[in-house]
Amino acid sequence: MSLVAEEIRVAYGRREAVRGVGLVALAGHVTAIVGPNGSGKSTFLGALTGSLPFRGTVILNGRDIATLKPWQQAAERAVLPQATHLAFPFTVIEVVRLGLQSGIAGARSDVPMRALARVGLAHHAGRSFQDLSGGEAQRVMLARVLAQVWEPVAEGRPRWLLLDEPVSSLDIAHQVQVMEIARSFARAGGGVVAVMHDLNLTALHADRILVLCEGRRLAFGAPSEVLTSDILSRAYGCNLGVSVPPPPGVPYVLPHAASL
Amino acid sequence: MAAVLEDLPAVPDRMARARALHWGLAGLLVLACIASLETGATGVSLSGVATRLVQGVELTRTERVVLYDIRLPRLAMGLLVGAALAVSGAVMQGLFRNPLADPGLVGVGAGAGLGAILAIVLGAALPGWLLGLTGNQLTPFAAFLGGWASTLLLYRVSTRQGRTSVATMLLAGIALGALAGAVSGILVYVADDRQLRDLTFWGLGSLAGASWIKVLAAGPLILLALGAAFALGRGLNGLALGEATAAHIGIDVQRMKSVAILAVAAATGAAVAVSGGIGFIGIVVPHLLRLASGPDHRTLLPNAALLGATLLILADVIARVAIAPAELPIGIVTAILGAPVFLWILLKRRGLVAP
Repeated sequence: MSLVAEEIRVAYGRREAVRGVGLVALAGHVTAIVGPNGSGKSTFLGALTGSLPFRGTVILNGRDIATLKPWQQAAERAVLPQATHLAFPFTVIEVVRLGLQSGIAGARSDVPMRALARVGLAHHAGRSFQDLSGGEAQRVMLARVLAQVWEPVAEGRPRWLLLDEPVSSLDIAHQVQVMEIARSFARAGGGVVAVMHDLNLTALHADRILVLCEGRRLAFGAPSEVLTSDILSRAYGCNLGVSVPPPPGVPYVLPHAASL
Repeated sequence: MAAVLEDLPAVPDRMARARALHWGLAGLLVLACIASLETGATGVSLSGVATRLVQGVELTRTERVVLYDIRLPRLAMGLLVGAALAVSGAVMQGLFRNPLADPGLVGVGAGAGLGAILAIVLGAALPGWLLGLTGNQLTPFAAFLGGWASTLLLYRVSTRQGRTSVATMLLAGIALGALAGAVSGILVYVADDRQLRDLTFWGLGSLAGASWIKVLAAGPLILLALGAAFALGRGLNGLALGEATAAHIGIDVQRMKSVAILAVAAATGAAVAVSGGIGFIGIVVPHLLRLASGPDHRTLLPNAALLGATLLILADVIARVAIAPAELPIGIVTAILGAPVFLWILLKRRGLVAP
């Protein structure tokens, strides 16, 4: 089972932000989308989630998403936005419960609480969401998304996590925590597609990487094939060394993934 | 994982509190109804009438008229209008994702007001058959039409390719409100003294004109709209996360917006038509309930109906007894009570008053 996008084009007015990008993401993999600012990463993800009007086809688990109702899509994939502004003073646990499909888990389910425990925020369940720091809010949103697709595989079909810069407002420890949650979701048979900024974190956790540049696909493949000095320098328009030791005396920080 | 969960502090269950509140508000509403039937300009009282009914004594003609033709329809209209205004406010706030939104924003208020003014000032110039068609109900009828027409116009203006932009609707509503205000100004300028007096009193709102005809005209529309609004609870909760996320968790956002706007137009249009301009119920009631039991729309909407009806009926009692035997327009009472609460909400939002 897979998430397949073909010839995706998205335009803002006359400017085409995504110009014919394709992707095959497999269940069991973490697929990362990287590229410079304005390369169309989030826009491309917006097409995959069906929140932006686009041309092309997106096939989710064998079904064209254009033919699926919102609740049918919601049963198969959950989406983490970059940032959320909450309009009313819901508590943390109430926000996580919003992710529940009324059909699969009632309000009495312990899934929301377990999802919160997963991101290490269970003890904040009763706090007002609007009082959280940016990083905490981002993790609560991840818990909401996890509650929506709690079982990575349901009815014989993988479920999908589509994450838009899931670690952008997190400190390094929580970056690792969130990426390991994504990893274990994929290991359990689910599919993960994530827009990423941090190339080192991506190298550690992604199985496949799509590199976008000016709305086009520049490269796609395993980290070792894609994260090369040549491809990255072309994508980002500056000289980038890969696996070159830092100059003597310059400290270099790289988190170690527990799963490696 | 289970062991981890057991060590956690208990989370207050606001859903249970909201349900308890539900019964408390229902009790309060019953008390308000009794108070409303009990008080009035004449000496007729509910307790006196009840005693006589139990003893099997015929009611006097005055008592029957006061109770069945004046106080009961007035009570029924208060119930309907109060619930309609409070629920419309809560739905609008959910739709616009802003706790200070008001049905006036979608143009119902401006359109209804213009309709009423047109009817009052130009009504006499209409051909006789048209006047006969609406009987003496030309003003509420025109107000209802005006409210609906402006809402549908705004809805059309702000919908492109099947997507309604609430931001555009808000801005267009402001423009339409200014236009309606200007036309109203012209009409006020040409109106004679009696018409000016009618205009003023219509704008202040009152349940004094209540009759069974009005209750029957507005009732079904308001009840239908309330029923539709109560079904929006989960959708409005999702919308609190933003439109895109609401769609991601499985809500048909466009359909929900259409239902919400039509329900608000129907409920507010009908309420304004029969009772004039009654302010603050739509903002104050949902806000108080959010403070008491949280913003979950699944409980907020029914509780808003109960509290809105209760407050409007009590305001009507005050309007009737404050300067008896004369009556205050109820809009004055709700404004005197509601405006300070509204200011307090604003101050609290700026963090100047401790919650």
